[in-house]
Amino acid sequence: MTTTTRQDIDLMAHLMRRAAFGATLDELEQKAAKGYEETVEELLNPGDPGDLSQDAIRRYHVDHSELRQMNSAAGNWLYRMITSKNPLEERIALFFHSLFATGYTKLNQARCLLNQIDMFRQRGLGRFDTLLVELSRDPAMLLWLDNNESHNGHINENYGRELLELFSMGIGNYTEDDIKEASRAFTGWTLGNVEYMAMRAMKDSIWPYSRIAWHFQYRADDHDEGEKTFLGESGNFNGEDIVAIICRQRATAEFICTRLFQFFAADRVDDDGQAAIDEMIDSYFASEYEIGAVLRTLFNSDYFKSDAARYARVKGPVEYVVGAIKTAGSYRQPTLGIDKVAEQAFFMGQGLLNPPTVEGWHEAEEWIDSGALVERVNFVANELADTSQPGVKAIIGKLADANGGTLTPDEVVDNCLDQMGAIAVSDSTRGALVDHVGEHGNLSLSDDSSEQRVGELLGLIAATREYQMA
Amino acid sequence: MTTATKTTSLEYIKTIGITNNGDNGRGFANPYSIAVSKDGRIYVISRCDPARATAIRVGVQDIDENFLFEFSEGYGSGPGQFVLPVAMAFDSQERLFITDEFNHRVVVYSSEGKFLDQWGEHGSKPGELNGPAGIAIDSNDNVYIADQHSHAISKFTADGRFLLRFGREEDSTPEHNLCQPWGLCTDADDNVLVADWRHNAVKRFSPDGKHLQTLGGLSDTLFNRPSGVALDSEGFVYVTDWGNERLQVFTPSGAHYATERGRATLSKWAEDFFKSNPDEVEVRKISNLTPELPPHLADDPYQVSAQTEPYFWGPVAVTVDDHDRVYVVESNRHRFQIYKRP
Repeated sequence: MTTTTRQDIDLMAHLMRRAAFGATLDELEQKAAKGYEETVEELLNPGDPGDLSQDAIRRYHVDHSELRQMNSAAGNWLYRMITSKNPLEERIALFFHSLFATGYTKLNQARCLLNQIDMFRQRGLGRFDTLLVELSRDPAMLLWLDNNESHNGHINENYGRELLELFSMGIGNYTEDDIKEASRAFTGWTLGNVEYMAMRAMKDSIWPYSRIAWHFQYRADDHDEGEKTFLGESGNFNGEDIVAIICRQRATAEFICTRLFQFFAADRVDDDGQAAIDEMIDSYFASEYEIGAVLRTLFNSDYFKSDAARYARVKGPVEYVVGAIKTAGSYRQPTLGIDKVAEQAFFMGQGLLNPPTVEGWHEAEEWIDSGALVERVNFVANELADTSQPGVKAIIGKLADANGGTLTPDEVVDNCLDQMGAIAVSDSTRGALVDHVGEHGNLSLSDDSSEQRVGELLGLIAATREYQMA
Repeated sequence: MTTATKTTSLEYIKTIGITNNGDNGRGFANPYSIAVSKDGRIYVISRCDPARATAIRVGVQDIDENFLFEFSEGYGSGPGQFVLPVAMAFDSQERLFITDEFNHRVVVYSSEGKFLDQWGEHGSKPGELNGPAGIAIDSNDNVYIADQHSHAISKFTADGRFLLRFGREEDSTPEHNLCQPWGLCTDADDNVLVADWRHNAVKRFSPDGKHLQTLGGLSDTLFNRPSGVALDSEGFVYVTDWGNERLQVFTPSGAHYATERGRATLSKWAEDFFKSNPDEVEVRKISNLTPELPPHLADDPYQVSAQTEPYFWGPVAVTVDDHDRVYVVESNRHRFQIYKRP
């Protein structure tokens, strides 16, 4: 039996901020007792998500059943993020949603976007080539990048171009001819009833009887059967062959591993970070392109565990919002307002299912501007100041159990930072928090105003610079 | 007893409805319940998605698809208003009783749309309401309410005086008690039939709450989260099998009689829409609206219905009128389909 140290808790908190949406102190202690590598394996090998049932959600929210509105679909995903026991599945889906950014505005099809997210959830930790084939068959992607308009003899290069540039290799690693040849290989990959579906999407039609969802259809009679030369290889390639060739390239490994590093480890890549990426690339090839293996290498790397990686990422709006809601304990049951939460994330700069372009969101420091910061702080302050929420109540209960329910300002701040997920703050931040609590002296949980003071402090902590980071 | 007999098809009559993206007039926004008056007028409540909450209303039309009028006091918790309406039923005086699972109350309107009354206190004690869903009114104007989060049926007088609660405490086995009940109806003997949503069953109780009969159950495949139940004049039982996106029909003795997946056609209102959108007509003609789907979609009735316009999608309620016409309400398709036993 090993003893859990403070360092173990802090490391586990770091892992859970990256591979999950944070965790309470109780959860961190349990996971630390289980062990770091074991927890990594649990995250990488998810079981039953045990999340809020879709039946219950659909019965309560009519549009989570119909999924006509983008915010309903986004809210539906938020429920999953908030309540799933498999947080890494949700994080990897969020990662690929940003990398393979597909948006509602052109499609007017919230359901198919959510189906795409579900595909990311199911395939995101598996082989990258499988994922790219599924992506190429995904109805939302097909219409988003116009592959429905790419025909034998009349190609549309949009999907072929972005597959290489934005989704797998990056500029400089292929030629314009490679784009054309890839596009030829994906001719015939389209939707069922594509003419009607494309018209309905273009007209944003919900008539006569609401949306009709989309499904993939391969039209052999529209596929270019001619020989193609792609990245130096020749043959009568179809789409699967193009993906197989892409995934064999060193540039692809560098591209996907770097993007994973930036999403899960640090916004900026320094020399030590590059060494970690090189290890990830080795795992990519050794595992035959398995994303889960790549992440295992990252999470177990010295770099990831080092101080350099702590608080080295700006939280995206969605992870920020979900983390705060999980702390508050709200939205565990179907509740009017989840769609508004999705809207709040949009105001903070990240509208789920609504990326600004196919390039996704501009992340890292660009998440934070003065407007977005105000939206962030206001949202979490409201959420965490609500002392009726079960998570907030639990924190208050923990404080009441400490020191007989009477705490100095220092003790209140340290306890709350711990309960919110072992958050480390600078001395100046801590000093400001202590000063704020100290304005009203010691905290006695028997006082009428004590719960409100705790709620205010939780909101204040969530407004700190450190809480904006992961 | 659910021994299978020869499966029979229902006779399809017609479809009425169209998505109403505005806030008035013909069409529906997530219809959730139907009640048919003695003179045959069809009352449909639109629950509405959040973006259209202000359009919450009861629309009235006839079997010939003539839109007649509509009414409500609007969205909210004020007198006569709704937030999450669920189900409707007429009493003997043609007053329309409507449950609201958010406001935890029953609102009563006249058949001409005048707000008359409301009653119900939020809570989980006997006599209180906690997410009221289905509603049925017996021949003596006793009002039965499926009290969803109390996992019980509560019985009231028409003016809201509490009489009885059952389905929860008196029996500990899922075969006899209820979990998140939804739709209700009463039979000719004033027994109550309950769509026991979470138990995948339909149960019949006597007027004093004794369990009489169960169709389906957690170990059965007859239902997946049944939402509504209704009876015709001969006692045949119609169940909207919400999770399976279908209608199940049983003989009065409980034998399986028919399964209907849905056969919607264009309503008159839908035909009018296409008259003014001829460009859509041409591409619709070359489309297959009952497509074969890839395996990852084909195994899930919910996904199949999302792709297949004629099928039921979100069948939340079923009602039978005095002519034994069966109305299946589809929240996600903003319409209802009408059938009849041959």
